[in-house]
Amino acid sequence: MQREMKKLYFTFILLLSGAISLNAQNLTQLEGSFKTGPAIILIAILVTFVLVGIFFRAKDPTDYYAAGRSISKVGSGMAIASNWMSAASVLGMAGMMYGFGYNGLAYVVGWTGGYVLLLILMAAQIRKYGKYTAPDFIGDRFYSRDLRIVSAIFTILISFAYCVGQFGGIGLMFKWILGLNYSWAVIIGSSVVLLYTLISGMIGATKNMQIQYVIIVTSFMLPVFILAFKFDYFWLLPQIGYGAAVTDIVQGMPAPNISDGMVLLNAYSHNFSIVPSPEYAMPWDPSTGTTFFQWMAICFSLMVGTAGLPHVIQRFYVVPKITDARWSVVWGLFFISLVYWTAPAYATFGKILSSNPEVGVLAKDAIVVYTAQLGGVNSLIVGLLAAGAVSAAFSTVSGLLVAGASAFSHDLYVKVINPASTPKQQLKIARWGTVLMAVLVTVVALMKLGLIAQLVSVAFSMAACTIFPLFLLGIWWSGANRAGAKAGLFAGSLVTFIALTYFIVGLSGGSLPGQAFISYWLNVWYFAWFGAPLAIVVNIIVSLLTKPTPLEIKKFLAEQVHN
Amino acid sequence: MESSDQYNFSIFSPRNKHGRKNRNVIFSMLAIWAVAVFGFQFLLRAIEKPTPEKALTVFESEWPAVTGGNEEMADYQAILTSLLMVKGKNTVATGDQQLLSEAISTVTFRMVPKSLNTQVMEKVAALELMHADIAALKGQEYMDLKFRIQDASSGLIGMLEPYTGYGTTSLEAPILAASLRKDYPASLTEASLSRLPDIMKLYLTHNQSVLTDTKFLGFPFHYFYTAVFLLVLFVVLCIVYNRLIEWRLNREGIVE
Repeated sequence: MQREMKKLYFTFILLLSGAISLNAQNLTQLEGSFKTGPAIILIAILVTFVLVGIFFRAKDPTDYYAAGRSISKVGSGMAIASNWMSAASVLGMAGMMYGFGYNGLAYVVGWTGGYVLLLILMAAQIRKYGKYTAPDFIGDRFYSRDLRIVSAIFTILISFAYCVGQFGGIGLMFKWILGLNYSWAVIIGSSVVLLYTLISGMIGATKNMQIQYVIIVTSFMLPVFILAFKFDYFWLLPQIGYGAAVTDIVQGMPAPNISDGMVLLNAYSHNFSIVPSPEYAMPWDPSTGTTFFQWMAICFSLMVGTAGLPHVIQRFYVVPKITDARWSVVWGLFFISLVYWTAPAYATFGKILSSNPEVGVLAKDAIVVYTAQLGGVNSLIVGLLAAGAVSAAFSTVSGLLVAGASAFSHDLYVKVINPASTPKQQLKIARWGTVLMAVLVTVVALMKLGLIAQLVSVAFSMAACTIFPLFLLGIWWSGANRAGAKAGLFAGSLVTFIALTYFIVGLSGGSLPGQAFISYWLNVWYFAWFGAPLAIVVNIIVSLLTKPTPLEIKKFLAEQVHN
Repeated sequence: MESSDQYNFSIFSPRNKHGRKNRNVIFSMLAIWAVAVFGFQFLLRAIEKPTPEKALTVFESEWPAVTGGNEEMADYQAILTSLLMVKGKNTVATGDQQLLSEAISTVTFRMVPKSLNTQVMEKVAALELMHADIAALKGQEYMDLKFRIQDASSGLIGMLEPYTGYGTTSLEAPILAASLRKDYPASLTEASLSRLPDIMKLYLTHNQSVLTDTKFLGFPFHYFYTAVFLLVLFVVLCIVYNRLIEWRLNREGIVE
């Protein structure tokens, strides 16, 4: 295996050297042209992923679902981080801050703060319960085949919604690198990620996730160091150094901006200056169209959704020990934070670098790459950054497709449709499920329904309204019974249905009764602020009014999970 | 016979001493987490005050003069600067940008002598044409036109400098060059510009407080707290929780 890895490494280096020797043209046109160097870097990285997937491919269903429980806690932490850091983290988050200022930080806090909930309320208990998938847990804990089926369907829907944003991000980066139109870029990117997931399964994916994490972090951080150095901020720790740039944006920077006798300019020779723009940093600024309520609702929904996402919860089954489940969260959160501390720096530098009206209107979701380009960062490093963003989307998509396929084959096919199926049949169904899901996601991604971070937040709200209450009460209250779970799930599903219906109707130009009211208070990006607490309350009330939980479930929880 | 009740538990009423200690740790962590995240935002909300930018103060003091017919050149200069301060923000909605461009054009052409109007208009028209063309171009053609636009803008700014006071290297110059339009309202009192004071107020008023105005490590304090400190706190909370749990498991001799 070591020899194979060495070959792999040298292949990668060779391809990278090719890219460097070609030394692509200076990337002063932000969009529209084929970029040779970045394209070679992207292809080299993708080939590496596929090869790693082949070397570590799944041999049986246990490998496919849970990586054979052979991953260390640091490795699992990296895999959690890589699995987590999607196009929404690497591209979408900076885009939200660039476009909506302080309200974008609700995504930073929401997507990290949820890990505290996950750790103290879920991680170890889920591992102790000892089930492979979220529907497995729900079906078993609430002794209900119906709930297993419904939760499997929700797992697929959540993974689906999450994937839509990722495929959009992959499309944007393929578009940027290859100079293709968005539709072709999405189709090509989707095909590659599908191929990779099919041949690797989760064990290959977990190995890949560790490699992907290193690529994501390196490619994401390097340009920020360069930008901070180039524009005279504290570059040794740009995650702090960009703070002065935030203040410069708030107060305004006159032109020409001279440092050490040199005029600071962007790649188009525009002054590195900006009119006073406090709206970038001031909370819920009226001019950004955002409110205090939205900040809180987004933050809460993302946090609770984090603790209810099936593909995140599923990661705790792959660690060998219970203590590893806990520490893998810490490592995962730390690795995630490294990127999340950096993302606002892109938005900040991007804000100044694009302030000249001649730069034009930029796509928010690609602001990370544009910032590096406008900052005059070497084109190959910008290419690596784009490839890192693609890696981020790939790692998440592979985890999501595996989670969706697991729900389809393990929770629906094996447990409901054909319990006598052989492992070979199960693997076949898992792979067909993956293909079907990828094709459908591609179709929806082509519709461009919103910004990446917003699209992904739909999945979080959905998970918060449906899966999270079942896990929370299932683990922490022996009184939560089947009837309560069904009622709670119905309430959460109803809120989800209402939010999605109003969103789709609004998008198509129609209007339903109370359209404006629902679109604001139960917006599709953050409806969980209401749906999750409602589902919990309904679950509790109905559980108290109906037949108690069977003795064996209570005994199992008391002795195995909380002993 | 076993009773179902003997295995009853909830997070609020654990079954044993170990569980109760666990519960206390969990609730302490949750309380710190909730206060740190949401409590701070509530505080921010409670103490904020709508604060105008200097450009809004200038605009509101000059607006009656320039719309009342007793304006002077200095009034136009002040109004123009405040309009450019809004137009230069890249969060301005498309419709509002259009209106601001028109207002900027109206004010600028008021400041330029009539004898120069035709020349300025020709340059503005040429720039508009180039802006329309650049969207379809790629590669070297794109870059060539980009630089021609820059040259044309510089020429325009140079021509206007004696009247507007903005040199080619000034912050306002590129915003002005990109804002000027061939077609614009004859005066600021026209109905099409009636929304202007509201637009200025919208983009130039911000929620500020002592927490947003205090600087910490170069950041506005509230920004540092949310973007940097909270993430550190989350990691620390997780580490402390794990250490506490492990310490207690060891102390009580419990093997998971």
